[in-house]
Order: sequence, then C-alpha cells, then structure tokens
Amino acid sequence: MIEAFFEGLLLVLQWKAFAFMLLGILLGFWVGLLPGLGGTTTLALMLPFIYAMQPIEGFAFLLGMHAVVATTGDITSVLFGVPGEGTTAATILDGHAMAKQGEAGRALGAVLTSSLVGAIVGAVALALAVPVVRPLVLSFGSPELFMIAIVGLAFIASLSAEGARGMLRGFLAGGLGLLVATVGQDPQAGVARFTFDSLYLWGGLDLVPVLVGIFAIPEIIDLAVRGTSIAGELPAGRLSKGAFEGVKDTFRHFWLTIRCSLIGTFIGIMPGIGGAVSQWLAYGHAAQSARTPEERKRFGQGDVRGVLGPGAANNSKEGGALIPTVAFGVPGSSSMAILLGGFFLMGLVPGPDMLTKHLTVTFSMVWTIVLANVITVAACFLFLNHLARLTSVRGQLLIPVILVLIFVGSYTSNSHYGDILVMFVFGAVGYLMVIGGWPRAPFVLGLVLGKIAENYLYISVARYEAAWLTRPIVLVLLALAVGVVLYPLIQSRRARSRKAQHA
Amino acid sequence: MKNALALVAALALAAIAPQAAAQFEGKTVTIVVGFKTGGGYDRTARILARHLPKYLPGKPNVIVQNMPGANSIIAANHVYGVAKPDGLTLGTFNRNLVLAQLTKVSGVKYDMTRFAWIGSAASESTVLAIRSDLPYKSFDEMRKAGKTVVIGATGPGANTYDFPLLLKELLGVDIKIVSGYSSSSDIMLALERKEVDGRAGSYSSLQTFVERGTVRPLVRARAVEPGIEKLPVDENLAPNARAKAIMALRSAPEVVGRPFVMTPGTPEPLLKAMRDAFAKAIKDPELIAEARKAKMDLEYMPGDEALRLVKEVLSQPKEVVDEFGKYIKFGE
Repeated sequence: MIEAFFEGLLLVLQWKAFAFMLLGILLGFWVGLLPGLGGTTTLALMLPFIYAMQPIEGFAFLLGMHAVVATTGDITSVLFGVPGEGTTAATILDGHAMAKQGEAGRALGAVLTSSLVGAIVGAVALALAVPVVRPLVLSFGSPELFMIAIVGLAFIASLSAEGARGMLRGFLAGGLGLLVATVGQDPQAGVARFTFDSLYLWGGLDLVPVLVGIFAIPEIIDLAVRGTSIAGELPAGRLSKGAFEGVKDTFRHFWLTIRCSLIGTFIGIMPGIGGAVSQWLAYGHAAQSARTPEERKRFGQGDVRGVLGPGAANNSKEGGALIPTVAFGVPGSSSMAILLGGFFLMGLVPGPDMLTKHLTVTFSMVWTIVLANVITVAACFLFLNHLARLTSVRGQLLIPVILVLIFVGSYTSNSHYGDILVMFVFGAVGYLMVIGGWPRAPFVLGLVLGKIAENYLYISVARYEAAWLTRPIVLVLLALAVGVVLYPLIQSRRARSRKAQHA
Repeated sequence: MKNALALVAALALAAIAPQAAAQFEGKTVTIVVGFKTGGGYDRTARILARHLPKYLPGKPNVIVQNMPGANSIIAANHVYGVAKPDGLTLGTFNRNLVLAQLTKVSGVKYDMTRFAWIGSAASESTVLAIRSDLPYKSFDEMRKAGKTVVIGATGPGANTYDFPLLLKELLGVDIKIVSGYSSSSDIMLALERKEVDGRAGSYSSLQTFVERGTVRPLVRARAVEPGIEKLPVDENLAPNARAKAIMALRSAPEVVGRPFVMTPGTPEPLLKAMRDAFAKAIKDPELIAEARKAKMDLEYMPGDEALRLVKEVLSQPKEVVDEFGKYIKFGE
C-alpha cells in the first residue's frame, strides 16, 4: 500500500500530467475567485477536453482545477464578504470582519495556510483510511446521517451569543433556517410547500443566491453607508504586511486547524451531507474553542480562529468527497458526478477495484489535490499583500464591481430572475439580522442541514420504525450532540470557578 | 399543373440549403437543458453540441445552457413561449413533461404537440433491480416469496418512486417504498449498506452496477434496450385493462427518452436542416465512439415518430387519465 502511495506521487509528477495540472490550477484559480462561476459548471465545460488525455493527465487536469476552486473561493469571501463559492461562506464571518479592521493580509494568510494544512491532513487521513473506508461508509446509514445533522444543529448553541436571550435568538435563527429549507416539493408525498404557485420555488431555494444575499448585501450597504474603503481609514502601509502573521496564526492554533481538517474530511466522506455543511460545522467547532465570554463575543467580529477552522475544513473535505465516488462508483456531489463521467471517458469504472487493483490511480488523485493546493497557496502568497490592498480602495469604486459580481453570481445558479429576487429578499433578511443583532451563522446551519435532517429522519422511521434509536453509532452521536449543546454551559461554569479561585 | 407543382417543390428544396446556411452562418445555436449540469439530459445535450455543427449548414457554434427548475417545466415554457422561432434555440426536457400536460399541472404553458420536433436521442427504460445477495432470481420468485421488499426512492414523480408504486398498487407486489433519498446515487449506497433491498431507475444508470454484480434487474417497463429484452414487462402482468392502461401510460414517454424540440413556428427549412443534422450527428462514428466511452447509449428517433407518440399519450380517454392521476403525481 505504501508503495502505491508513492507510485501515485510519481504518476502526478510526470511532466505531462504535471503540466495539465498546472493548466487546471490556473483555470480553477479564476473560477474560485469569481462568485457564481461554479466549480461544477466549469468541470462540465472542461470534460470534453479530456478525451485526448491519458487517465492520469485527465485527473490531474480536472482535480487540479476542482481542488483550487475551494481555496481561492475563500479569498473573495475574506476580501469582499461575497462568497466566492457556495461552500466558502463561513469564512466571511470572521475573515471579512478582519478585512474591515485592516487585517485582510493576515486573514488571507490564515485562510490559505489553513487550506493547505486542511488539504494535507485530508489526504493523509484518506490514505490511512483506505483499508477501512468501505466498511466505514457503509456503517453510516440514514439514522446515523440524521444524527450527524442533529450534531450539526447542536452547534447552534456555540454559535449563539451568551445568555438566555442570545441562545433564544440563535435557536430562532436556526429554526428560520430549517423553515427556509422546507421550501419546495417534499419528497414523501409530493406536496408543494411555500412555493406560492411559483414554478421557480418547486425545487427549493438554491444555496448560492441565499448566501450571497444574506452575507454580501449587508456588507455592501455597510460599505456604502460608511463611505470609506473596506478597511476604513487605516494607513495603507499596514495592509501590505500581515500575510505572514496569518501563517503564524495557523501554527499558533495548530490543533484547532487539524481538528477542523478532520471534521472536513469526515463530512466529505459521508455521502449525501454536502460540501456546504463541513465549513459551518468547523466554524461551530472553532467557536467552541473560545475560553471566556469575552473571547466568544470576538467570534464574528474578526477572530482568526473563525477563519482557520472553515478554511481547513473546506479543503480537507475534497479528498474525502472522492471516496464515495471512487470506492462505490456513486458520486457524492454534482461535481463528483461529472468527474464520474470523466472516469468512464478514460476507460476506468470506479468501484471496489479502485481501492485494490487501481490503488495507484486513487493515490495519484489524492496527491493531485495536495500538490494543487501547495502550488496555489505558494502562488497566492506572491501577491497576497497586493490583494489585501484592494480593501483600501474607495468604496464608491468597489461597490459597482461587487454588485456586478453578486448579480451575475446569483443569476448563474438557475439562469432565472427568481435568483435575483431571492438574493434581494435574503439580503433584506440578512441586513435586518445584522441591525437587530441576530446571529446569521445559526440560520445558515439550519438551512444547510434542514433537508438532510428531514429526509433522513423520515427514511429512518419508515425503514426501521423506532429501532433506529438503539443503533450504537446513533447513541454515540446523540451523546456528542448533548455534549455540544452543554459545552458552552460547562465552559462558563469553569470560567466562573476560575474567577472565584483568583479572587 | 402537376409539373408546375413539382417544379415549385424542387425549387423550394433547392432553396432550403442556402437559406438555412445563411441563417446559421456565424451564429450560435443554444441547446436549453431543463436540468443542472452533470445529469443524463445534460450529458446527451453536450455530446450532441460537440457534433451537431459538423452537419449544420453554415457550421454555427452550438452551446448548452442549463435552465433547471420545476423538473424542466421552466425550460419548456421558455423554449415554447419566450425563445424566437429562428432555429437558434433547441430544448431538451424531462421526458415526462407530456404527462404534466396530460394531468394539467399548474404552470404548464406549453403544448407538446405544437413544438417543432427534432427527434429523440435515446430511449430510456425503467427497471426494478434488487440486491444480488437476495435469493430471488426472478420477478415471479420475488412476488411469491411472501416477504416485503424495501425499495429506496427519491420522491413522487421520479421513476425511482412511480415505477415501484404501480407494481405495488396495481400488481399487488409486497413492496415498501422508502422515499426521500437525495439522488439515485444515495439510494445506491443505501442498497450497498442493505438499508434497502432494491431500487428502480433507468437501465442506463443501473447498468454498471448490474455488470459488477451488485444488483439484479427483475422487471422492466415497455421501452426496450439491449441487455434487458428478456425481462418481464410490467404492463404485460397487469390483471385487468385498467391497470394495463395506467402502467402503459407511465411508460409511454420513456420511448421518447431524450426529446429534442425547437420553438413552435420555426420555419420549415431550418427545422429540416436541424432534423437532418441531428439524425446524422447521432450516427456519427466519432460521436458513437465517445458515447460508448462515456457509457451512453444513443438511439435516433425521427421527429415525426416522437410527435406521433406524444399525440398518442395526449389522446388518452379521460377515465384513464383520471385513474392515472390517482397514482402518479408529476413532481420535482
């Protein structure tokens, strides 16, 4: 197996494969940076080009592109508060807050370094997991997936403000998210819910216009009202430093970065949970690391840990997401479905063989993800400080550009004017939430987990009736969820007793 | 008089090619797909987009635009009523749109019979497949075993749900449908972990799993594909005429599995040019080689034939449609 691990590396390092990977990286870089131009669509567009390639070259090209999209998507999130991809919204909360305080360089340094760590941890975890990955995936049935959603929802506790009022608001926002997730036709009886006789709403709401609205619109209004640059009136000199500070932050909070990477890998491996979830779970976990109420309050206002967690999880999930596709021939996401088409074109039929006979190819894919990230992060550092300076450009000049990006970005999800309307509606919701001091993270958590929770609960009950409640992994996850909910309480009690000791 | 008519006809034919060439030259033809990227409809449209230009006069660009939503109704309404009949817009939609029209789903603004039909690129048959480790070797054995078979499904309106539903309701097969999986891939994984015993789906999506020995197909719908000719057909097992009519109606659109149409009122020469190009592109050796690599089975059906089948579905008597509507709900 170790042999295959290194043979895989050699395959990627062949000059042709490597060249195609660089080409893929170049494409993915821009796709990630521009909101709306999604990784999935680009994969579909690029698929015909691989007819003429060898399998390894084809994967180096497609995966190189795919792996980078998530990395550079974070850059847009940090700089402008616009999610560069549907899966990179969680970095906005603290990343963009840092940018507004003139720490864009540091935030970018942190998000890129943690992305790199995430990609490497994800790949290593994957390599170690190869022998057990089939039984691992198969041991997570619908009841277990439902419980993962519950653990995710439990994180609302750590994403809400302190005190009863804060908790109440957090859970209400989460409830609203769950409610919004029910829009569309339900998959059990086919009843149309909250569709208001509109065809557009049949299929439910797309994540991208909702996220763009809820995060980007309040930022634009804020920028316009302040009438300054994103970073305010700070001297430009400070902006161009700090990227290295972000690197140091990653190592200062190294264990957190590793833990969040592992969360990302795990969620990636679980089919049917989806990429958007992993970042928010990692964010929730990062928020748990705050030791005192004062620290807790810093989250959402520019705590670097709120950047490191999602940054790491976002990239580590990519390696994990390959697993269902490779080991079962069953794609875990729409990007992976297109990649599966790529497998066929190159004469490979994904399935159990990929973990034995074609293990080298599988590892070469893992290596591609790692190498693509290393190269991108290194390249980004060359002009990171220049990118950070964008936050000192006057708002009046920046706002039209950002507006174009968010309009196009939302519209490309369905090519329907409804996308724009949804963006505005949730823009208003987001703005009101910001004004009123309601947390947005629980809302998004509810939104991304709503369908998963609903459907897997239904399936669990329909299939196993009450017996699913006694499955061992379900019980473990239940305990975990209870722990996650109680953690803030335990923490504040501990802080209090510490204070008492000092006094 | 006869001669004059023939002359006019000949002149008209001669005029077709240059007129179409002038219309297509330097232009971009858009294929509107009613689904997101990555699915079967999308892949079919994209492979055709690569090979259509060769056979179109004036060699226009052909691109694909995804217009998902409401299970293709949005895209169909667009091609029907919004796009210009200038031969530059094609549409490919959910094959069951004809059933949405038949059952009068709200929001339908198109009339399938009025589209300028180009043809169909494949026929897609639905099969029910069960885990290979189950003891049933045939549909008959499964029915007679007297044990409930758990079938995973995505939701009403999808063939993963509707096909087993009719087997259960009309043939009395002991089936329990567990619905809510987010995609047929998810059902496949549920099947591997033995959460469900089987699933229905288009044979093309199940083929690799049949070849690998994960599942065994037991029963199919009317449309036939190589490899499943010998499976029993659901409607042939129907106990009465009513059941047979309902199952036949569900299966009918599958014969026109990948429909391609243009906006109503597209001028005859342009339609003819597009039909010819479509027919030739599907038989193009390069396309066939690519499709085989991508594990897609394309099969050409002329526009007239597709239109005839669509009309047949829409001319069903009201009683049959009402009965059909009791079971099948057009959905996302």
